[in-house]
Amino acid sequence: MRRVLSLWLPQLPLDRRVRIGDLRTEGPFAIIAEMKNAWRLTHVNRPARRAGIAEGLSLPDARAICPDLFVEPADEIRDAALLRALWRWADCLSPRVSIDPPDGLLLDISGCAHLFGGEGAMGRHTRQRLGDMQIHTRIGIADTKGAARALSRFGKTGVAIAAPGKTNEALKDLPIAALDAEGDIASELARTGLKTIGQLYSVKSSELARRFGLDLTRALGCTLGQEPDPLTPAAADPIYAARMTLPEPIGLKSQIEDVLKRLAASVCGRLEAEQKGARRYLLTVRCVDTGDHVLSVGFARPCAEPASVLQQFSHSLDQLKIEFGADWFRLVAEHVEPIHPKQSTLGKEAQEEDNTARIISMLGNRLGFDHVRKFQPCDAHLPEREFESMEAVDKEFDPVWKQAPRKRPLRLYKTPERLRALEPGRPPKQFEWRRKSYATKSAKGPERLTAEWWREGDMKTRDYWAVQTANGARLWLLTYPGEAEPNWYVAGKFP
Amino acid sequence: MSPHVCINGAKLSAFESITPKKHGVVSIGSNLSLACGRVHEAMGDAADMFAVALAAHAKGPVVWIGRSVDVGSLAPTGFQEFFDPTRVVTVTCVSRQETLWATEQALRLPGTACVVAELGDGPDLQTSRRLQIAAEEGGALGVILISGRAQTSAAQTRWQCDPITDEDAFWGWRLVKNKNGKVGFWRVGWAPDDGRNDHAQGFVLVAAAAAA
Repeated sequence: MRRVLSLWLPQLPLDRRVRIGDLRTEGPFAIIAEMKNAWRLTHVNRPARRAGIAEGLSLPDARAICPDLFVEPADEIRDAALLRALWRWADCLSPRVSIDPPDGLLLDISGCAHLFGGEGAMGRHTRQRLGDMQIHTRIGIADTKGAARALSRFGKTGVAIAAPGKTNEALKDLPIAALDAEGDIASELARTGLKTIGQLYSVKSSELARRFGLDLTRALGCTLGQEPDPLTPAAADPIYAARMTLPEPIGLKSQIEDVLKRLAASVCGRLEAEQKGARRYLLTVRCVDTGDHVLSVGFARPCAEPASVLQQFSHSLDQLKIEFGADWFRLVAEHVEPIHPKQSTLGKEAQEEDNTARIISMLGNRLGFDHVRKFQPCDAHLPEREFESMEAVDKEFDPVWKQAPRKRPLRLYKTPERLRALEPGRPPKQFEWRRKSYATKSAKGPERLTAEWWREGDMKTRDYWAVQTANGARLWLLTYPGEAEPNWYVAGKFP
Repeated sequence: MSPHVCINGAKLSAFESITPKKHGVVSIGSNLSLACGRVHEAMGDAADMFAVALAAHAKGPVVWIGRSVDVGSLAPTGFQEFFDPTRVVTVTCVSRQETLWATEQALRLPGTACVVAELGDGPDLQTSRRLQIAAEEGGALGVILISGRAQTSAAQTRWQCDPITDEDAFWGWRLVKNKNGKVGFWRVGWAPDDGRNDHAQGFVLVAAAAAA
């Protein structure tokens, strides 16, 4: 017989504030959330309740009733993190635990309860342990998920238990809202005079389905155990790691590499068996005198090859200073992603991609991944915005390069370099740039570009001239029209 | 535009009788080929273009290495008509030493097609020897752009590249040093193709060649 324990944490956000030592929770305190364009109270603590405040009130109303009320906006992400932590903690009660968001846990306790001295004792034990952690709980135990949830939320006592096979009697007096049905069925049923679950037993389910939809009958069936509603425990993400403890410390690089080779073979073997790869590997080396040293390497694409891992670590192992030796090693793979194996002998593109990824990992691990970049086209008309340089790692590059309307220089100086005009002209007939003098032979232009008015910054209209100089260099000169004394800049250089 | 003119009929090649031909060559037109698995030096105002032309003819990833002032000014919009900018990986280094290290690593990796390194002054004998060995291991074509002074080096060839002033999109490449083979001068032009189906391959034409 399956038995399910539902753990309801009615005041999870408040408990979290208490746990982090928020002193405001000693007085009237509430958690608020924005609902339908109004701030409303979602959780209220005991002093506030005593002051006459209840959940669902709007914030101005609550302030009017109790002027010294403190409030805090709901933080769903942190609440979910706390719930997830509790989900892991609940492992001590049962091996099969699933999260029942936003504020509950469901435990399959079939065959577990006797370890705690029965179901009642188990419920009390759980409540007490969570109480020690300053978390309020209500517990329902029944044959089905739905019934356990209903008992935990609407039961009369902190630990409500429906004896095996006695679900119907236990739920008899609970309101319809205890059923996990979608929509506002409770108020519809209330209009027909049906208020408790027990009243539904006598109505034919075909009648209920006809008037209130299949949702209600399905919820009722699941709750009473007439329809299957299994519990699916979520498993924690697997950790791909291996460690090795040695009887004697080692210090030679070749020895450490041997250890790393074995660790990498184990970790990568597991990854490969599941067709996965990791983008990051961390190696912890525990030295006997200086403690833990953590080395890390990154990869441009998920990798599960021991040889590559070894190769990337070799540089950081060189840097590592081991004086009296190390005797504990742990290699862990992070950012695990599935690998889609490609047949590299057939597809030339796949091989080229592989090669590029290898270059990126190799150089990025030593120089830093922000130094290894690729170009990405942008949709803009200013020459310096027509492309972008982005970190090459971890990105998909599938850009389509459109031809620029006019010829663009091969070198583009992001901040145009001012030149010194020796002989005026438009563009200057002779000028000096980077300590060299140039004479204009011919010039094409201007190419006039207006600034992007929707952006901050340089708002001046620009004139670009392509200048062929007498001594060979082809420069791209820039000036801002409309200035009384025009200044000229070198914006780029053609090949 | 005629594809190429041999002025004195001699078919020149910048690799001629090089022993390690196992990595093949990068050919620009029919009478100019550079050996892969070797390091070549380029100087002058149009040295960038020399590197771009070689990168366009090499098949595979192109790694462009240098300090951020040099590599940061590289504009893909300027070379996208010659080859696909997605092939380029740029690597910015903080010092000459780091540039040399990155160049050596990139040359050594199998699968790299072309490695372009921007150095101020040219590499000396020892450094260039290291790069040469790395290139031979990996099989990539190494191009070193020298903006300052060149030094005696172990590079396969050295080129003086300048734009030709009387015509647009024309460059003169003078081979000033060749370890095995003759020196010469090439006029290289760029004939934009209307078709544009093949990205850049064979776009750069050797317009004239003359033995010096």
